[in-house]
Amino acid sequence: MKSRILRAPEGTSNGGASEAATLTTVPTVGAHASAPLGPIKIAARDVSVFYGDKQALFDVSLDIPDKTVTALIGPSGCGKSTFLRTMNRMNDTIPGTRVTGRIEMDGGDINDRKIDPVLLRAQVGMVFQKPNPFPKSIYENVAYGPKIHGLASSKGEMDEIVQKSLKRAGLWDEVADRLHSPGTGLSGGQQQRLVIARAIAVEPEVILMDEPCSALDPIATAKIEELIDELRERYCIVIVTHSMAQAARVSQRTAFFHMGKLVETGDTEEIFTNPRERRTLDYITGRFG
Amino acid sequence: MTDAASPMTGVSPRTQRLKARLRARYARETRFRWYGRAAIGVALAFLVILLGSIITQGYTAFYAHTVTLPVYMDPARIDRSYPQGANFEQIVAEQQVRRLGVQDDEQGSKASAMKALLSSELKFQAAKMVARQPSLLGQTVPIAAPLSDDAEMYLKGKITRDQPEDQRRVSNAQMDWLDKMKASGAIRAHFNAALFTKGDSTQPELAGLLGAVVGSALMLMVTALIAIPVGVGAAVWLEEYSPRNRITAIIEVNINNLAAVPSIVYGLLGLALFINFLHLPRASPLVGGLVLALMALPTIIIATRSSLKAVPPSIREAALAMGASRTQTVFGHVLPLAMPGVMTGAIISMAHALGETAPLLLIGMISFVPGVPHAIDEPVGALPSLIYIWENASERAFHERTAAAILVLLAFMIVMNAAAVLLRRRFERRW
Amino acid sequence: MIWIFLLLLIAFVVMAYVAGRTLAVRRSRGAKSHSRPGQHGLYALIWVGAPALAMLIAASVFSTSIEQQMMRAGAPDSVAALEPFRREAFFADARLVGAGQEARQIWPAPYAEELPAEGRRAHRIASTLNWGGGVAALIAAVLGGLFVFTRIRPDLRARNKVEGWITGLLFACSAVAVLTTLGIIFSLVIDSLRFFSMVPITEFLFGTKWSPQIAIRADQVGSSGAFGAVPLFAGTFLIMLIAMAVAAPIGLFSAVYLSEYSGRKTRALVKPALEVLAGVPTVVYGFFAALTVGPALRVFFNSIGDMLIGGPLNDLGLYLSLVQNQMALVAGAVMGIMLIPFVSSLSDDILNAVPQSLRDGSYAMGATKSETVKKVLLPAALPGIAGALLLAVSRAIGETMIVTMAAGLAAKLTLNPLETVTTVTVQIVTLLTGDQEFNSPKTLAAFGLGLTLFVVTLLLNIVAMRIVQAYREQYD
Repeated sequence: MKSRILRAPEGTSNGGASEAATLTTVPTVGAHASAPLGPIKIAARDVSVFYGDKQALFDVSLDIPDKTVTALIGPSGCGKSTFLRTMNRMNDTIPGTRVTGRIEMDGGDINDRKIDPVLLRAQVGMVFQKPNPFPKSIYENVAYGPKIHGLASSKGEMDEIVQKSLKRAGLWDEVADRLHSPGTGLSGGQQQRLVIARAIAVEPEVILMDEPCSALDPIATAKIEELIDELRERYCIVIVTHSMAQAARVSQRTAFFHMGKLVETGDTEEIFTNPRERRTLDYITGRFG
Repeated sequence: MTDAASPMTGVSPRTQRLKARLRARYARETRFRWYGRAAIGVALAFLVILLGSIITQGYTAFYAHTVTLPVYMDPARIDRSYPQGANFEQIVAEQQVRRLGVQDDEQGSKASAMKALLSSELKFQAAKMVARQPSLLGQTVPIAAPLSDDAEMYLKGKITRDQPEDQRRVSNAQMDWLDKMKASGAIRAHFNAALFTKGDSTQPELAGLLGAVVGSALMLMVTALIAIPVGVGAAVWLEEYSPRNRITAIIEVNINNLAAVPSIVYGLLGLALFINFLHLPRASPLVGGLVLALMALPTIIIATRSSLKAVPPSIREAALAMGASRTQTVFGHVLPLAMPGVMTGAIISMAHALGETAPLLLIGMISFVPGVPHAIDEPVGALPSLIYIWENASERAFHERTAAAILVLLAFMIVMNAAAVLLRRRFERRW
Repeated sequence: MIWIFLLLLIAFVVMAYVAGRTLAVRRSRGAKSHSRPGQHGLYALIWVGAPALAMLIAASVFSTSIEQQMMRAGAPDSVAALEPFRREAFFADARLVGAGQEARQIWPAPYAEELPAEGRRAHRIASTLNWGGGVAALIAAVLGGLFVFTRIRPDLRARNKVEGWITGLLFACSAVAVLTTLGIIFSLVIDSLRFFSMVPITEFLFGTKWSPQIAIRADQVGSSGAFGAVPLFAGTFLIMLIAMAVAAPIGLFSAVYLSEYSGRKTRALVKPALEVLAGVPTVVYGFFAALTVGPALRVFFNSIGDMLIGGPLNDLGLYLSLVQNQMALVAGAVMGIMLIPFVSSLSDDILNAVPQSLRDGSYAMGATKSETVKKVLLPAALPGIAGALLLAVSRAIGETMIVTMAAGLAAKLTLNPLETVTTVTVQIVTLLTGDQEFNSPKTLAAFGLGLTLFVVTLLLNIVAMRIVQAYREQYD
């Protein structure tokens, strides 16, 4: 069975050298250790998203457990990123977007009018496809969130937050001596970890990752994946990925999207070994996508 | 469960802290948004005030008053063989004073005051009538003529009785006369056609825009004939032919810098090169057009290049693959496709050139040019320089005419820009 | 006269085209021709038209100076003995008389008698030159025709040659831009050098007294110390500062609001309105400043002054009650209004060049819009905005009409916005629009000022464009 998991991504168009290089690390990351799932953190019910007249997402219902990595996979344009962005209401920033249905986080609807997206986003961090550090120093980048939310009452406290976040993001050792040089001067992989540090500096409960490794080389990718696995202990992580190998490596739960619909969801191991739906099988074996 | 920390229940100390800060943050947000609104509001207010002040100052110039008086052609005071020599204004004024039942003093001060209300045009009208038809002598004939600028200012409410009498140019008595003449129907308001059919004059009531409009048109014609072909040619060379080398780089840097050279420097160039060195005629549309052409050149080149760039390379490749030479490709396929954009850019830069003033002053378009020009090598006035000259004039009546001239200039520019917008809408092509 | 030759030339050129075409068809009979007949026709057209046109242009450019040389060379002794200025005036009148018009001035005894004869001579010279130029052009056309018609054969690569000409012509068009720059530099430098030979450059750049009007007599020049341009630089700087104080915040905030906050409808309304503000000619702003803003501000300050008189701020009140229309504030503020759309559209472009990913990153951290703008966008766009503001500064310095109409002529060294100051551009206009005598330092000073203005604005533009360019590349 395992051999099939490994073969499947090789057949996909977006396989290539990067995945081949990291495939061997799969067992060591230990994603398939059947870790007990945390309680449900986010529960989406009948979520649809419209861009103007165009519907991008159709009645998606999905439970996302805490302290777990949930991977959203599917061919491009399938709605997985759109769904990800509903969870911190980033779709609000695009004019003409409409979201229907309920997304409950710890029991409350985040689309409720009373919920402030600013507070929500302090709770739900996000990492983007392309590393987007601000054109400021490394320190300023990490301190950005705590500063705007007023999380540190003194310089010392802020230093502590910055150090702690950089350590958790596994970047501290590399940048400790140049905290005040520009964040844009780091390598791609370092930039992405800096952005992760920036996100966890406000101590969110959920971290959304939108194809965080697609712009990185294999070695940097491996580092990020390792980091994701570590972060799982503290946060609820939802990751959108193009690479099925990556989904297999880092996630415990997987949801397969196709044409704006959620096709199938389940334990990662099960999805990749024994999918219930024909379309899932076709996708993970590289028949389309 | 970690409900306590969620944004919904909001009871954890952390959430409390975030919420407490949120009010101040949103207050700042609102304030910032209002700064932006205020900035735009101020900018728009300036626009409204600018246009409003010009319209309110200028609309009165579009109507004028004509006074029609019966004049007894006194053979004793008008020489049949030389009617131009007669002092018609004095004659008319004296008769009018008598007609209004006013007793004049020995110095004839009332007649002088009446005379001050009449335009010198009256004299030319009367003299022309007598010269054409000498039999009018001894008869009483109605003559229509404009009023003087001061009388106009009173009738248009720009001089009022509220001002102290010694500080205004129209006395109470004169105001009474004007009121009476208006009531009797001798003074009639009408559309000021003279503004559009006459050239400049030293007397505001007789000054018109036609000379300046024609001067500007001649100048713009020279500009367009030079700047558009040369500018399009330069853009075509830079975009389609130029090798990537130093010369090309120098030319490109040059064009960008030329676009930002102050217009008055072009005036200095025109003065030194075209007038002092090449001895082209001063203040002529030829020199003005040349200077404006050099100024418009960078804009036209930049606009043409961007519309050439917008033509996709596939068009060029298709033509070249069919065996067309580069020149055939460019002139047969690329340039025609880019033409709407080129013409839009050209029209906009011509509209801009139409309003340019500073260089015109330096090449001599600052002196009084009566009449309407008809050649490109004689001194002319142009609309913007006429605005400058009239603004400097001391007579208040010129101020309303200046504002009217501005309105005419703006109307021309709006028409040109509207044409450019229409052209763009009609032919715009998205690749 | 030149029109007749021009028409003749057009006729020649059309005939050349037709002849070239026909000839190509006839000579290629049977054989396979390299180029199409029309291309042969164009080739003939170029060879007939180009030399003749060059000849006509050369003739009209040089005829004036040749004519002057000939007038001077053949002048009777009495006229030749006149001082140059009077002599040229005499020749000008002679030309008028020769053309059947009246002389502009009354000439005294010896010259009055010479005038008719000189008039006839002037007429003769003028028509000789006209005919000479025209005939030379026609000869050039014929020679070009003889050359080209012998060469039209089936194997002539007419298309390539025609295209070579076209390419050359297009290059010449591009070269006009460079020639314009060279023309500007030469015309400014030559007259400036003449100026600096009369007034030392150090005195011009560092002198603090500007009073060109007193330098009427030649012996006053230079030593009078009236050409110190520092007050003009100070006035220019003051007005620029006021203009930027108005334009920078309003333009910048409008740009931020338009690019980050406003809906599409607001944008569709406000942008064209700002474009109208940008399209209004500067002479209109000058009128607005001189007749609307100036008097309004004067009344405002005067009434404040009247209120303060007699109070604790009596001196200030006295000062304010005497403020005049032509204060630096008026010209500066109106210039600022003129620059608002310029600053706003440049900043708008620059803000739009900031990648969306930075905005997303900030919003995803839970930042509000204004926090994103203040802490991420503006710092990121800072170099670009600095470049845009520098371009605006360069515009403010070079702007002429507003200051000419609304600022004064008094060269004062002050930073008080309620005082009357004068600027470099105002002085250029003033010096060159009065009675001009060339070679007087008063007139030449304008070129010195023009050169200074050109150099300063050029440097500002180069620096600004470099900054903006580097900024754009950073986010490409």
